[in-house]
This record gives sequence, C-alpha cells and structure tokens, in this order.
Amino acid sequence: MRREQTLADRITGSALWRSFVRHGYPDTQRNQALIIASNVFLHIHPVKIKRYATKVTYTFCLGGLSFFMFLVLTMTGILLMFYYIPSSTQAYQSMLDIQSSVTFGQLMRNMHRWAAQGMVISVFLHMARVFYTGSYKPPREFNWVVGVLLLVVTFLLSFSGYLLPWDQLAYWAITVGTNIGGAAPIIGPQVNKILLGDFQIAQSTLIRFYTLHVIFLPLAAAFLMAVHFWRIRKDGGISGPL
Amino acid sequence: MAELAERPGLPAPTPGSIDEAKRQKLLELVRGRALARPTDLAEDEVMVWPSLVVVEAVSAVVFTAILFALSVLVNGPLLDRANPNQTPNPSKAPWYFLNLQELLLHMDAGLAGVIVPTVALVAIAAIPYFDRSPLGVGILGTSSKGRRIIAFATVYSIVVVVGMILVDEKIGRGTQFGIGSYMMDHWGATEFMTGVILSTIIMLIPIFILVGIVKAIFRPTRREIIIALFTGFFVTYWVLTMFGTSFRGHGQDLTWPWNLPLTHG
Repeated sequence: MRREQTLADRITGSALWRSFVRHGYPDTQRNQALIIASNVFLHIHPVKIKRYATKVTYTFCLGGLSFFMFLVLTMTGILLMFYYIPSSTQAYQSMLDIQSSVTFGQLMRNMHRWAAQGMVISVFLHMARVFYTGSYKPPREFNWVVGVLLLVVTFLLSFSGYLLPWDQLAYWAITVGTNIGGAAPIIGPQVNKILLGDFQIAQSTLIRFYTLHVIFLPLAAAFLMAVHFWRIRKDGGISGPL
Repeated sequence: MAELAERPGLPAPTPGSIDEAKRQKLLELVRGRALARPTDLAEDEVMVWPSLVVVEAVSAVVFTAILFALSVLVNGPLLDRANPNQTPNPSKAPWYFLNLQELLLHMDAGLAGVIVPTVALVAIAAIPYFDRSPLGVGILGTSSKGRRIIAFATVYSIVVVVGMILVDEKIGRGTQFGIGSYMMDHWGATEFMTGVILSTIIMLIPIFILVGIVKAIFRPTRREIIIALFTGFFVTYWVLTMFGTSFRGHGQDLTWPWNLPLTHG
C-alpha cells in the first residue's frame, strides 16, 4: 500500500531539491556520513570522531568560539564598512552617524567591539587549553606554531581596528602603541615611520590601519586558519588521552 | 612476602639470594587499557552528525545570545573627537598591551615593549621542539603533580610580580630597586647598563628561582618545568594587564580602580 505523498515529500523529491541535497534526512548512519562528506562547510569535519572529542569540558569550545567570533566580526565589520569613512576629517562624524542614524548601527558597532575583545581573550585561553592538555606535542608541533602566529594576527587585527573610531581613546592608545613599537632597537624609528606614514598619527596612518584591518589582516588570518584547521585533520584530529 | 615464606613446601626466600642489580622495582601503577585492543574502534567513536555538530550549534547559539545581550546593554566607548593637542593623563594602550606598558614603567622602552614580548612569543612557539615526549597528552596539567606545579607557579608568580611592582614603586619607579640609580650615581653606569642589562638580570632571577624551587620540591620532568614556566608567563601577563587597566591613574601612579578616569575600554 503506498503512503500518500505529503508536501514535504514532494519538495524533497523534486529535481531541484535533489540537485543540491544529495542525501536523505540524516537519521541513518549512511545519511549522517553523507551530510558531512558532501557539504562544503561540514566536510571540515571527519565523518566519525573519538568520543572524548565531543566533551565540552575538554576544549571548552575555545578554538571553535574564536573562529565563530571571527565570523561574527567579519559580518558586523562588513555592515559597518557600508557607513564608516576612513578619513581623518569624516571618520568621527561617521561613527556618530552609525551610532545615532543608522538602523541597528549602534548594535552592530557594539557587537563588533565586544566580539573583538572577546576574540583576544578566547584565542589566548585557547592557547592555554592546548598547552595544558599537551596538545602541541608531536605530530602537532607545527600547528602550535601556526597558532602562535594566529595569536599575533589577532592582536594586530584588534590593534589596527582600535584607531578607526578616531576619538581620543583611539588616537592616544595608538600613539602609545606605536611609540612602543618605535622603541625597538635599531629598526625602531623605521617601524614607527612605516606604521604612521607620518611623524604623528594622521590621515596616512588612518588609511594604513584601515587597509590592514579590513583586508590584509583578515586575509592573513583566514589563510592561517585554513592551514590550522587542515593540520588538525592531518595530525590525527583533536588531541586526546593516548 | 611474609605469607609466602611461611607456606609449607616453598623454600623461604633467603635475603641476598636475589641479584640486587637485577631486582625489578615497582615504580608506579598506571591506569591503562589492555595491550590487546580490538581492531574495530566503533565503541570509542561517534558520528560527527549529530554528536559534534549539536555541540557546535548549541555553543554558537549560546555565545550569540550572550554577545547580543551584552551589545544591547553596554555601548562601546566613544570619547571626544581625536585631538593631537590634548594628551589625556594617563594615556593608555589597548588593554591587551597594557602589560607591556606596565613593564615600560620599570625599564628601557625597547626591552619592555619589543624584546620581552618577542622573546616570550618565540619561546612559546618553540615549546613543542623542546618537549617531545608524548606522555600526558589529553590530560589537563599532565598529572596531579603537574596540576600541583600549576597551582604553585600561579601563587609564586602573583606574589613575585605584585611584590616587584610595589617595591619598585616604593623605592623609585624605574630605578631597578635603587640598584640602577646607585650604579649610575656611583659607578657612572649608562642607561643601557641599568635599563637593559640590569633589568634583564632582575627579570631572569625570579624565573630561575621558580625553576629551582620546582626542581627541588617536585623533581619535575622537562614537561613539568615547561608547565611551571608557561604558567609563570600566563599569570604574569594577566597580573601586569590588571595593573595597567585598573591600578594606574594620573601620571601612571598607582591608584585604586574606582579613582580612575575612563581612558580605556
């Protein structure tokens, strides 16, 4: 006896649906394997993992949260870019506009700011978790080095974004920060000049920090993350008790 | 042994009959799996969908909810328009660099702001090339001894870092506990000798003392010494950051957090 076709059956049986979803509902092991293997976003994972790797108290989700915050920062950052003007004369006014005139502008700005602070903390804590569980040991030593580079890029992303609001907080924090860089032995003055593009923070500094913040450093982070995640798989998955 | 010896029919073990050099000692009991393991690991494994995907989805939702609530309740700081002619007192770097700014108060700027963080990052990146033993992977702190070392290094680092800041502040900030200024006044020492060389020595001494104490108390493996050092770095980073964010007021003088003007966020 044939079951009557529901609307859902007709949709999931259609040629259109079947052209982009190539497996059935993931309630059998076969379909659960297929959904991971045939989805571009999910196939970052293997089909099966060790049971301990799903334990929240082992990883505290810190690496995943760092990546998730990067995604949130990318989304909110793109929205802010529609309104923010990287000009020393207009930047501060565009901040005021984002906060007062743009729909959900203040919310986007707050989410971007707090996620940025959160990402610095979560990346740092992720490093501590990986260290204390000995997860850097061979064969994962190179991935640990990539992680240290990602920590540096995270600091630079946060630091370069710090100048953009062009308020007193931003201006003087970056003055202090670039002075610290300028104190480097031998190359200090050159480092300071390259960062500022001037003798003090000016339009040339703002456009340098803006370009670093919205394109160069995110691309560098994305590149390193691709290596980082790939190496997790290649080094035998997430670490665990032997 | 006593029971065995008294059992009839068995010769009593005579002391000294065993070759002392070849006698095996019981070193440690370790919990482990049987040597023979089944080839099918299905019992240890789970399907990523749904077991892992659900954890990721829930943590993403919980995190988004918290971030959303925080962003609705608390606005990001926006002070007056940037004014190069009006230097706020105190001027502070972003909070995650305030540890370096705190160091800067006590020694040469290049040493505090560039050399120390560079050396720290390179040392951290190099850890896996010094500690290659697979022992303890996947166990927080390696062992109960490792966790005791973490606790000890944490307390030690807090006491030493807070103590050094307070003493340097009391004697005269940036005088290397008075030693540097004494060397300058009496021996004609240069800024380089006090701010760089003497300051480096002053920073290295507590690190060597930490390693020395841990070695004396815990008889550590190389991994456990690195645990003590990493914990020292980790705690020092956050203690210095807290001093920079919450206890430095006008003229970078020590003050209480509630007396601070809003200069960072």
